Amino acid sequence: MAMINTEILVIGGGPAGLCAAAEAAEHGAKVLLVDDKDVLGGQLIKQTHRFFGSRQQYAGVRGIDIAKILIENAREFGVELTTGATATAIYGDGVVAAATDDGFLKVRPEKIIAATGAYENMLAFPNSDLPGVYGAGAVQTLMNVNGVAPGNRVLMIGAGNIGLIVAYQLLQAGIGVAAVIEITDRVGGYYVHANKIRRLGVPILLRHTVKYAWGGEGVEGAAIARVDERYRPIPGTERDLAVDTICLSVGLTPLTELLWNAGCGMKYIAQLGGHVAWHDENMRTSREDIYVAGDASGIEEASSAMIEGKVAGLNAAYALKRDIGLSKKNYEGCLEDYREQLCQLRRGPFGEKARRGKSALMGAPIPADRPIKSTPVPDEEFQKGARVVIECEQNIPCDPCEATCPHGAITVGEDMVNYPLLDAGKCNACGICVASCPGLALFVLNRDYSQTETEIILPYEFIPVPNKGDRVDACDREGNVVCRARVSRAVKSKKFDRTALVSLVVEDRYADVVRSFRISGIVPETGRIEKPDMSRVDEMDTIICVCEDVTRRRIEEAIDRDGAQSMDEIKRLLRCGMGPCQGKTCQRLIMQILAKKLNRNIEEFKPQTYRGPMKPVSLGLLAKADDEEEN
Amino acid sequence: MKKKTDVVIIGGGVIGTSIAYSLAKNGVTDVVLVERDTLSCGATGRCAGGIRQQWSEPSNVRLARASIEIFKNFREEMGRDIGLVEGGYLLCAHAEEEAERFRETVAMQRKVGADVRIVTPEEMRDIAPCLNTDGMILGAYCPDDCHADPFQVTQGYAENARRLGVDIELHTEVTEIRKKGKRVAAVVTNGGKIECNWVVNAAGGHSAEVGAMAGVDLPTKSYRHQIAVTEPIRRIQEPLIVDFYVNIYFCQTAHGSFMMGYGDEAEKPGHNVRGTWQFLEEISRRLTGLVPALKDISVVRQWAGLYNMSPDAQPILGRVSDEVENFICAVGFSGHGFMLAPITGVLMAELITYGETRTLPIDELSIKRFEGGVKSAEANVV
Ligand SMILES: Cc1cc2nc3c(=O)[nH]c(=O)nc-3n(C[C@H](O)[C@H](O)[C@H](O)COP(=O)(O)OP(=O)(O)OC[C@H]3O[C@@H](n4cnc5c(N)ncnc54)[C@H](O)[C@@H]3O)c2cc1C
Ligand SMILES: Cc1cc2nc3c(=O)[nH]c(=O)nc-3n(C[C@H](O)[C@H](O)[C@H](O)COP(=O)(O)OP(=O)(O)OC[C@H]3O[C@@H](n4cnc5c(N)ncnc54)[C@H](O)[C@@H]3O)c2cc1C
Ligand code: SF4
Ligand code: SF4
Repeated sequence: MAMINTEILVIGGGPAGLCAAAEAAEHGAKVLLVDDKDVLGGQLIKQTHRFFGSRQQYAGVRGIDIAKILIENAREFGVELTTGATATAIYGDGVVAAATDDGFLKVRPEKIIAATGAYENMLAFPNSDLPGVYGAGAVQTLMNVNGVAPGNRVLMIGAGNIGLIVAYQLLQAGIGVAAVIEITDRVGGYYVHANKIRRLGVPILLRHTVKYAWGGEGVEGAAIARVDERYRPIPGTERDLAVDTICLSVGLTPLTELLWNAGCGMKYIAQLGGHVAWHDENMRTSREDIYVAGDASGIEEASSAMIEGKVAGLNAAYALKRDIGLSKKNYEGCLEDYREQLCQLRRGPFGEKARRGKSALMGAPIPADRPIKSTPVPDEEFQKGARVVIECEQNIPCDPCEATCPHGAITVGEDMVNYPLLDAGKCNACGICVASCPGLALFVLNRDYSQTETEIILPYEFIPVPNKGDRVDACDREGNVVCRARVSRAVKSKKFDRTALVSLVVEDRYADVVRSFRISGIVPETGRIEKPDMSRVDEMDTIICVCEDVTRRRIEEAIDRDGAQSMDEIKRLLRCGMGPCQGKTCQRLIMQILAKKLNRNIEEFKPQTYRGPMKPVSLGLLAKADDEEEN
Repeated sequence: MKKKTDVVIIGGGVIGTSIAYSLAKNGVTDVVLVERDTLSCGATGRCAGGIRQQWSEPSNVRLARASIEIFKNFREEMGRDIGLVEGGYLLCAHAEEEAERFRETVAMQRKVGADVRIVTPEEMRDIAPCLNTDGMILGAYCPDDCHADPFQVTQGYAENARRLGVDIELHTEVTEIRKKGKRVAAVVTNGGKIECNWVVNAAGGHSAEVGAMAGVDLPTKSYRHQIAVTEPIRRIQEPLIVDFYVNIYFCQTAHGSFMMGYGDEAEKPGHNVRGTWQFLEEISRRLTGLVPALKDISVVRQWAGLYNMSPDAQPILGRVSDEVENFICAVGFSGHGFMLAPITGVLMAELITYGETRTLPIDELSIKRFEGGVKSAEANVV
């Protein structure tokens, strides 16, 4: 295919890329965006839950709907959007090649914005190569994009936000979740997300790891165990779970192959998820014509990805040779606004990683966090009458509750990470906020429903929604059934998106106990666990590189016997990383093995030397390519 | 790292490690091999691994034949599988002129002892059923030729050299060579100074730079040479095929993937090893022209390495200047250093151990051959 000339090429059509492209195009630049998927939106298209973050970045809206808004926006400003096109390399002459199903595109841009997102980390344990072991992202794609159930009963590994959200989505799809296990001693994700699945009866087991899986054609079970301070399984604490799916949610790594390939300066920053391209506050890398944004520049959130995208788009447009009519004043005004927004998002304990990570990358001092003003007010006062109760007790960047209350009863304030505070006098128990809260952390209690009963308005995101008059099992915050309850009202409104409001009537003594309910058992019961003899399972036989079938033993031998000290050497000796996944599965694991065996820090190891094309391209397509210039 | 040793070898490619092993085998074990990065990081790790006897210069035929013997016994001697594919080499001739040249060189090669023969297009199709022989007049086929995995070969040499007592210092770059009178006295590295009795220059693409450190002006220059590899497929081709007219070579590796490259006349000397999209497209055109069946097979990687070229495309072996008696070079291997590595190791080790080579003479490959200009250059290079 002919050479395409454009001013700005954006690689990746997730929130970062879409915002970068729209921003640059809005200021007058000619922009082309390529994305390897058939549908634009990146991670967003898999997200059926309401987003956190600030309202400016569409908090409270479901990810998939945010994608639609962003795509529309980019289109409106005249961005040329090409789907199904994988950027395969950034060449020395500045040309970016992209492979489609029926062509090999060559683009000659003046500026490149890499917004390629991230890929999921894998975990290796004996039999982790069995069918049925998936990354959380793959599970989301299966369920939310393809409408296919990954299995019937899942073990989720990792209690970060993604693990918690995907566990919840599995439950929504009617799939059982045996447990969420987490190796550290705390839930890494938002408590509001953890609470959502806890009250559906899913245990979150801290200080636990998976020891091995078993199965024939696919996973049939997994053994989990408690770990000690050094994260080693404690003998005797092993427990078997009958599951047919193991879902890994153990972090993301920025996807930076193209940036390595382009020769950008790279740096390992643990807080940002691994190696990222060095970049300045304008999102410009060490190569003056290449910018980054979003997860590719450090793992964060969609909200920050959008703003980083805007910063990159703005700067790339401003740096163009052609005068596009973007005045210095306008440029500086926009930039300051975006920087302030980013600063806002990175406030509080959950913003700390990004704050520290980005300053470590730029070699700048860590910006002091502005003090967080509010603390949750103990809710003892509330003994009679009707109003909302707020069970949101962490400094998370979120504020839709404030916005949706028509009576101004909830205040989060300027700083999004503040706790929501209630002005009880203003609340008339209408319940509107309950449906808007992405954390499902708001409940309305009417303690005066009757002499002896309280009515509780609960958010409910399952189908079927019960009808008025139905009787259901009311559950506590851990998902234990505590009593039967009557449904006094069920509201499904378009305005509330897909969250229904279900009112339950319970005896007063359960008013502060009941926070969810079950129509029938959502978690399928299991019988006795049948398990083959696993006494001889050897960790050394764990497959680390799935593409080339390489075990931990062979990798350790390459280090011990052949003296390999780097990913490249291991690749040369064992072909690890040469397979179709280009090392996305094994590389991090191998670097961990290297670090452990050689007693060095993981940041001392470089990933393999990336060589294009990053995605296989057929000889036939390449042979067809012609080299004319096109404008 | 040792501060004093008998022999310092600069370069951890297949040449350096082969020399290290052969020295140790001869009993010279006080050897330090220094490599600025990792083993095989230079041309060695980037090469196609082809091993052939079909050269236009008799000296090259002899060296290659001696090497092939060693490759075939490698597994036994070194205890390492080197992915040897003994599928032969098939050279294709398109023009009558080229065909005539083939006939002559085949006669010469046979005289030197190589089992080479001229084959008709029909026979060529028997040997390589997927090859499109349109426009080809004849071929030259040597069933004894083969290809192997350069990483494993280098690793095999390194591991056995280590076992015999050689020190291999990775991530150690030679920055300076100190002389005393007409002798090299020490090399200076980023890890310290090593005093030594011999220095061997096996620095591949940086041979001239290392030569300059010893005060020698070596007539070698480096040129980028690109290559690409496909996904693995079932075995459809045994020989490595070279077509000088189309300008391409390609083979199917033990792993099943096709590897292919060509030399670009327009390359300027330098150390650039970035791949280009132009190459990717061009190699695909050439390959699918010759093997149309491959059009649906995908390229998974492209890369480039340096051909270290001497004026006649043949290596420069041995002492290179009367001004530095104990500075030995094994450089300028062009596109055939991998296949010549085993015998080069043997010869250079003999030179150091016994003061002369015993297995084969190397006078024809001495730097002295350039005095008075280039006489006869190797013609069979891609
Ligand atoms: C389960 C889950 C829940 C989340 N919840 C929230 C939340 O509540 N709030 C929030 O703010 N964030 C949330 N996030 C995070 C958010 O989705 C990501 O941070 C965000 O999508 C990152 O945006 P991005 O544009 O950088 O990358 P992505 O969304 O990953 O987009 C990158 C795009 O680039 C494409 N691409 C990659 N390489 C190439 C190439 N070579 N050529 C062409 N295209 C390429 C990819 O296919 C993809 O389409 C969640 C994430 C997950 C997984
Ligand atoms: C694309 C391509 C295809 C090829 N195909 C074939 C083929 O099919 N068959 C064949 O026989 N040959 C082939 N060759 C040629 C072959 O690869 C080389 O001739 C051979 O590998 C040379 O080996 P070497 O050890 O001399 O050089 P190298 O492998 O380049 O090793 C030299 C080493 O010296 C190190 N070094 C340099 N300077 C210093 C310093 N100052 N201090 C410390 N270390 C230093 C380098 O890091 C390097 O590792 C090909 C080459 C290329 C590029
Ligand atoms: S229940 Fe209604 S009035 Fe009370 S806080 Fe929520 S939205 Fe506001
Ligand atoms: S209560 Fe408010 S701040 Fe807390 S999760 Fe709900 S919407 Fe967000």
